[in-house]
Amino acid sequence: MVHFIETIIKTISIFTGLSCFCLFTQPAFAKNQVLTDVKVIHASTGPAHIDPRLKGNISELKSVFKYTSYRLIKDQKMKLNFNQKGRVILPGKRTLVVIPSDMNGRRIRYQINIHRNNHPVFQTQVLLKNNCSITIGGPQFKNGTLLFNISGSLQ
Amino acid sequence: MKKQCTKYTLEEISRFIDNELPQDQHAALAKHHVHCPYCNQIVEQYQSITDVYKEHLNRIPLEIDTLKIKEKFGQTLKNSKKKSKGSMFGFFGKYIYLKLASITAIVMIGLYTFQGGFFDPSGPSAIVKSVDTDFASVMIIETQKEKHTIIWFSET
Repeated sequence: MVHFIETIIKTISIFTGLSCFCLFTQPAFAKNQVLTDVKVIHASTGPAHIDPRLKGNISELKSVFKYTSYRLIKDQKMKLNFNQKGRVILPGKRTLVVIPSDMNGRRIRYQINIHRNNHPVFQTQVLLKNNCSITIGGPQFKNGTLLFNISGSLQ
Repeated sequence: MKKQCTKYTLEEISRFIDNELPQDQHAALAKHHVHCPYCNQIVEQYQSITDVYKEHLNRIPLEIDTLKIKEKFGQTLKNSKKKSKGSMFGFFGKYIYLKLASITAIVMIGLYTFQGGFFDPSGPSAIVKSVDTDFASVMIIETQKEKHTIIWFSET
Protein backbone atom coordinates (compact mmCIF):
# COMPACT_ATOMS: atom_id res chain seq x y z
CA MET A 1 0.00 0.00 0.00
CA VAL A 2 2.78 2.40 0.99
CA HIS A 3 4.66 1.46 -2.18
CA PHE A 4 1.54 2.19 -4.23
CA ILE A 5 1.13 5.63 -2.67
CA GLU A 6 4.82 6.35 -3.23
CA THR A 7 4.45 5.41 -6.89
CA ILE A 8 1.47 7.74 -7.27
CA ILE A 9 3.33 10.57 -5.57
CA LYS A 10 6.35 9.98 -7.81
CA THR A 11 4.16 10.02 -10.91
CA ILE A 12 2.47 13.25 -9.84
CA SER A 13 5.80 14.88 -9.09
CA ILE A 14 7.27 13.84 -12.44
CA PHE A 15 4.18 15.15 -14.22
CA THR A 16 4.27 18.47 -12.39
CA GLY A 17 8.01 18.71 -12.99
CA LEU A 18 7.51 18.24 -16.71
CA SER A 19 4.67 20.76 -16.72
CA CYS A 20 6.88 23.22 -14.90
CA PHE A 21 9.66 22.62 -17.41
CA CYS A 22 7.24 23.28 -20.27
CA LEU A 23 5.99 26.42 -18.56
CA PHE A 24 9.46 27.84 -18.00
CA THR A 25 10.70 26.92 -21.45
CA GLN A 26 7.54 28.25 -23.11
CA PRO A 27 9.22 31.44 -24.32
CA ALA A 28 11.96 29.37 -25.98
CA PHE A 29 9.43 27.36 -27.96
CA ALA A 30 6.98 30.23 -28.32
CA LYS A 31 4.27 29.87 -30.88
CA ASN A 32 4.73 32.53 -33.52
CA GLN A 33 1.76 32.09 -35.84
CA VAL A 34 -1.76 33.30 -35.31
CA LEU A 35 -4.63 31.68 -37.12
CA THR A 36 -6.89 34.63 -37.83
CA ASP A 37 -10.41 34.01 -39.04
CA VAL A 38 -12.42 36.92 -40.42
CA LYS A 39 -16.12 36.36 -40.99
CA VAL A 40 -17.95 39.05 -42.92
CA ILE A 41 -21.62 38.99 -41.98
CA HIS A 42 -24.47 40.91 -43.52
CA ALA A 43 -27.02 41.67 -40.85
CA SER A 44 -30.43 43.07 -41.74
CA THR A 45 -34.01 43.27 -40.57
CA GLY A 46 -35.27 41.28 -43.52
CA PRO A 47 -36.92 37.86 -43.40
CA ALA A 48 -35.59 35.83 -40.51
CA HIS A 49 -32.61 33.83 -41.54
CA ILE A 50 -29.50 32.66 -39.78
CA ASP A 51 -26.70 31.19 -41.81
CA PRO A 52 -26.03 27.70 -40.45
CA ARG A 53 -22.26 28.44 -40.50
CA LEU A 54 -22.85 31.25 -38.03
CA LYS A 55 -24.78 29.34 -35.42
CA GLY A 56 -21.92 29.48 -32.93
CA ASN A 57 -21.48 33.23 -33.22
CA ILE A 58 -24.97 34.63 -33.59
CA SER A 59 -26.52 34.00 -30.18
CA GLU A 60 -24.37 36.70 -28.59
CA LEU A 61 -25.04 39.17 -31.40
CA LYS A 62 -28.77 38.55 -31.20
CA SER A 63 -28.72 39.56 -27.55
CA VAL A 64 -27.47 43.02 -28.59
CA PHE A 65 -28.76 43.75 -32.11
CA LYS A 66 -32.30 44.00 -33.46
CA TYR A 67 -31.42 42.24 -36.75
CA THR A 68 -33.40 39.23 -37.84
CA SER A 69 -31.24 38.07 -40.73
CA TYR A 70 -27.58 37.12 -40.54
CA ARG A 71 -25.86 35.97 -43.73
CA LEU A 72 -22.22 34.97 -44.04
CA ILE A 73 -20.77 36.81 -47.01
CA LYS A 74 -17.16 35.80 -46.59
CA ASP A 75 -15.07 33.60 -44.34
CA GLN A 76 -11.34 34.10 -44.68
CA LYS A 77 -8.81 32.18 -42.61
CA MET A 78 -5.22 33.41 -42.54
CA LYS A 79 -2.14 32.06 -40.85
CA LEU A 80 -0.28 35.21 -39.94
CA ASN A 81 3.10 35.68 -38.35
CA PHE A 82 3.42 38.48 -35.87
CA ASN A 83 3.47 41.87 -37.61
CA GLN A 84 2.30 40.28 -40.85
CA LYS A 85 -0.63 42.02 -42.55
CA GLY A 86 -3.75 40.08 -43.40
CA ARG A 87 -6.06 41.70 -45.96
CA VAL A 88 -9.72 40.97 -46.45
CA ILE A 89 -11.58 42.58 -49.34
CA LEU A 90 -14.93 43.83 -48.13
CA PRO A 91 -18.03 44.88 -50.02
CA GLY A 92 -18.34 48.58 -50.90
CA LYS A 93 -14.69 49.20 -51.86
CA ARG A 94 -13.64 48.54 -48.31
CA THR A 95 -10.63 46.61 -47.09
CA LEU A 96 -10.02 45.16 -43.66
CA VAL A 97 -6.40 44.86 -42.53
CA VAL A 98 -5.56 42.78 -39.46
CA ILE A 99 -2.07 42.63 -37.97
CA PRO A 100 -1.28 40.47 -34.95
CA SER A 101 1.59 42.43 -33.42
CA ASP A 102 2.54 40.59 -30.24
CA MET A 103 1.30 38.79 -27.17
CA ASN A 104 0.21 40.48 -23.99
CA GLY A 105 -0.04 37.75 -21.39
CA ARG A 106 -2.55 35.28 -22.83
CA ARG A 107 -3.95 37.81 -25.26
CA ILE A 108 -3.03 38.61 -28.84
CA ARG A 109 -2.53 42.25 -29.66
CA TYR A 110 -4.24 43.05 -32.95
CA GLN A 111 -4.11 46.19 -35.00
CA ILE A 112 -7.32 46.31 -37.06
CA ASN A 113 -7.83 48.89 -39.80
CA ILE A 114 -10.72 49.44 -42.19
CA HIS A 115 -9.98 51.32 -45.37
CA ARG A 116 -12.49 52.76 -47.84
CA ASN A 117 -11.23 53.88 -51.20
CA ASN A 118 -7.70 53.40 -49.88
CA HIS A 119 -8.40 55.84 -47.07
CA PRO A 120 -8.33 54.64 -43.44
CA VAL A 121 -11.74 55.15 -41.91
CA PHE A 122 -11.45 53.12 -38.76
CA GLN A 123 -8.46 51.94 -36.74
CA THR A 124 -8.38 50.10 -33.48
CA GLN A 125 -5.97 48.21 -31.31
CA VAL A 126 -7.35 45.35 -29.25
CA LEU A 127 -6.05 42.66 -26.95
CA LEU A 128 -7.94 39.58 -28.08
CA LYS A 129 -8.18 36.60 -25.80
CA ASN A 130 -6.63 33.56 -27.42
CA ASN A 131 -9.30 31.44 -29.16
CA CYS A 132 -11.88 34.19 -28.76
CA SER A 133 -13.35 36.72 -31.13
CA ILE A 134 -14.37 40.35 -31.43
CA THR A 135 -17.10 41.78 -33.64
CA ILE A 136 -16.74 45.11 -35.39
CA GLY A 137 -19.80 46.48 -37.06
CA GLY A 138 -21.30 49.52 -38.55
CA PRO A 139 -20.70 49.95 -42.29
CA GLN A 140 -23.95 50.15 -44.22
CA PHE A 141 -24.47 47.67 -47.02
CA LYS A 142 -27.58 46.64 -49.02
CA ASN A 143 -30.29 47.74 -46.55
CA GLY A 144 -28.34 46.27 -43.72
CA THR A 145 -25.08 46.43 -41.87
CA LEU A 146 -21.77 44.67 -42.19
CA LEU A 147 -20.37 42.88 -39.17
CA PHE A 148 -16.81 41.60 -39.04
CA ASN A 149 -16.21 38.78 -36.64
CA ILE A 150 -12.47 38.43 -36.08
CA SER A 151 -11.10 35.53 -34.10
CA GLY A 152 -7.49 34.70 -33.27
CA SER A 153 -5.87 31.48 -32.24
CA LEU A 154 -2.23 31.08 -31.41
CA GLN A 155 -0.67 28.22 -33.41
CA MET B 1 37.89 29.58 82.04
CA LYS B 2 39.98 26.40 81.98
CA LYS B 3 43.54 26.73 83.17
CA GLN B 4 46.05 26.42 80.36
CA CYS B 5 48.19 23.27 80.57
CA THR B 6 51.73 23.32 79.20
CA LYS B 7 52.60 19.67 79.77
CA TYR B 8 51.85 18.66 76.19
CA THR B 9 52.11 20.70 73.06
CA LEU B 10 49.30 20.87 70.52
CA GLU B 11 51.41 18.88 68.13
CA GLU B 12 51.85 16.08 70.68
CA ILE B 13 48.11 16.00 71.27
CA SER B 14 47.52 15.87 67.56
CA ARG B 15 49.97 12.97 67.20
CA PHE B 16 48.23 11.28 70.14
CA ILE B 17 44.93 11.45 68.30
CA ASP B 18 46.59 10.03 65.21
CA ASN B 19 48.29 7.25 67.24
CA GLU B 20 51.67 8.48 66.19
CA LEU B 21 53.19 8.88 69.65
CA PRO B 22 55.45 6.23 71.15
CA GLN B 23 53.51 3.77 73.23
CA ASP B 24 54.67 5.09 76.67
CA GLN B 25 54.00 8.72 75.69
CA HIS B 26 50.63 7.70 74.32
CA ALA B 27 49.71 5.95 77.56
CA ALA B 28 50.93 8.90 79.66
CA LEU B 29 48.90 11.43 77.62
CA ALA B 30 45.89 9.16 77.76
CA LYS B 31 46.11 9.14 81.57
CA HIS B 32 46.76 12.90 81.70
CA HIS B 33 43.95 14.27 79.51
CA VAL B 34 41.33 12.41 81.58
CA HIS B 35 42.24 14.59 84.56
CA CYS B 36 43.28 17.77 82.73
CA PRO B 37 40.23 19.70 81.46
CA TYR B 38 42.34 21.87 79.18
CA CYS B 39 44.09 18.98 77.43
CA ASN B 40 40.86 16.99 77.40
CA GLN B 41 39.09 19.80 75.59
CA ILE B 42 41.84 19.92 72.95
CA VAL B 43 41.79 16.15 72.60
CA GLU B 44 38.03 16.20 72.11
CA GLN B 45 38.31 18.95 69.54
CA TYR B 46 41.02 17.14 67.63
CA GLN B 47 39.17 13.90 67.95
CA SER B 48 35.99 15.35 66.51
CA ILE B 49 37.91 16.81 63.58
CA THR B 50 39.60 13.47 63.00
CA ASP B 51 36.26 11.66 63.20
CA VAL B 52 34.72 13.93 60.60
CA TYR B 53 37.73 13.52 58.37
CA LYS B 54 37.70 9.73 58.77
CA GLU B 55 33.99 9.62 58.11
CA HIS B 56 34.50 11.60 54.95
CA LEU B 57 37.31 9.31 53.90
CA ASN B 58 35.27 6.19 54.55
CA ARG B 59 32.46 7.34 52.35
CA ILE B 60 32.08 5.25 49.21
CA PRO B 61 33.30 7.42 46.39
CA LEU B 62 30.81 8.23 43.63
CA GLU B 63 31.44 5.75 40.92
CA ILE B 64 31.70 7.16 37.42
CA ASP B 65 31.20 4.63 34.69
CA THR B 66 33.24 6.22 31.92
CA LEU B 67 32.17 3.58 29.41
CA LYS B 68 28.53 4.30 30.04
CA ILE B 69 29.14 8.01 29.78
CA LYS B 70 31.02 7.55 26.53
CA GLU B 71 28.19 5.43 25.17
CA LYS B 72 25.58 7.99 26.21
CA PHE B 73 27.59 10.84 24.77
CA GLY B 74 27.96 8.98 21.50
CA GLN B 75 24.23 8.34 21.33
CA THR B 76 23.42 11.99 22.04
CA LEU B 77 25.88 13.07 19.39
CA LYS B 78 24.24 10.73 16.86
CA ASN B 79 20.78 12.00 17.73
CA SER B 80 21.83 15.62 17.43
CA LYS B 81 23.41 14.86 14.05
CA LYS B 82 20.17 13.24 12.90
CA LYS B 83 18.21 16.21 14.19
CA SER B 84 20.46 18.70 12.47
CA LYS B 85 20.18 16.67 9.28
CA GLY B 86 16.42 16.75 9.76
CA SER B 87 16.34 20.49 10.11
CA MET B 88 18.67 21.02 7.18
CA PHE B 89 16.71 18.77 4.89
CA GLY B 90 13.58 18.83 7.02
CA PHE B 91 11.47 20.20 4.28
CA PHE B 92 12.80 17.64 1.85
CA GLY B 93 13.03 14.79 4.34
CA LYS B 94 10.02 12.56 4.45
CA TYR B 95 7.55 12.58 1.56
CA ILE B 96 10.03 14.50 -0.59
CA TYR B 97 8.06 13.85 -3.78
CA LEU B 98 4.82 15.13 -2.30
CA LYS B 99 6.55 18.26 -1.09
CA LEU B 100 8.26 18.89 -4.41
CA ALA B 101 4.95 18.38 -6.20
CA SER B 102 3.26 20.83 -3.86
CA ILE B 103 5.96 23.44 -4.41
CA THR B 104 5.77 23.00 -8.18
CA ALA B 105 1.98 23.28 -8.12
CA ILE B 106 2.15 26.46 -6.08
CA VAL B 107 4.74 27.96 -8.45
CA MET B 108 2.68 27.01 -11.51
CA ILE B 109 -0.56 28.39 -10.11
CA GLY B 110 1.25 31.58 -9.13
CA LEU B 111 2.76 32.03 -12.58
CA TYR B 112 -0.50 31.33 -14.37
CA THR B 113 -2.27 33.74 -12.08
CA PHE B 114 0.28 36.45 -12.85
CA GLN B 115 -0.07 35.75 -16.55
CA GLY B 116 -3.80 36.20 -16.13
CA GLY B 117 -4.74 33.19 -18.17
CA PHE B 118 -5.57 30.44 -15.75
CA PHE B 119 -8.18 32.24 -13.69
CA ASP B 120 -9.38 34.71 -16.24
CA PRO B 121 -12.60 33.22 -17.57
CA SER B 122 -14.60 36.33 -16.75
CA GLY B 123 -12.57 38.86 -18.75
CA PRO B 124 -13.92 40.33 -21.97
CA SER B 125 -13.10 38.53 -25.20
CA ALA B 126 -11.17 41.60 -26.28
CA ILE B 127 -9.80 44.63 -24.50
CA VAL B 128 -10.01 47.71 -26.72
CA LYS B 129 -6.81 49.68 -26.29
CA SER B 130 -7.51 52.45 -28.80
CA VAL B 131 -9.99 53.53 -31.47
CA ASP B 132 -9.30 56.09 -34.14
CA THR B 133 -11.98 56.99 -36.67
CA ASP B 134 -13.39 59.86 -38.67
CA PHE B 135 -16.91 58.87 -37.69
CA ALA B 136 -18.76 60.62 -34.93
CA SER B 137 -20.12 57.74 -32.92
CA VAL B 138 -18.36 54.63 -31.69
CA MET B 139 -19.75 52.20 -29.14
CA ILE B 140 -17.95 49.45 -27.33
CA ILE B 141 -20.33 46.76 -26.11
CA GLU B 142 -19.73 43.67 -24.02
CA THR B 143 -22.39 40.97 -24.08
CA GLN B 144 -23.64 39.75 -20.74
CA LYS B 145 -23.42 36.02 -21.21
CA GLU B 146 -20.11 35.31 -22.88
CA LYS B 147 -18.60 38.79 -22.53
CA HIS B 148 -18.11 39.03 -26.25
CA THR B 149 -16.69 42.41 -27.25
CA ILE B 150 -18.40 44.39 -30.01
CA ILE B 151 -17.18 47.66 -31.47
CA TRP B 152 -19.91 49.51 -33.26
CA PHE B 153 -19.37 52.60 -35.36
CA SER B 154 -21.80 54.58 -37.48
CA GLU B 155 -20.70 55.72 -40.92
CA THR B 156 -23.31 58.44 -41.08
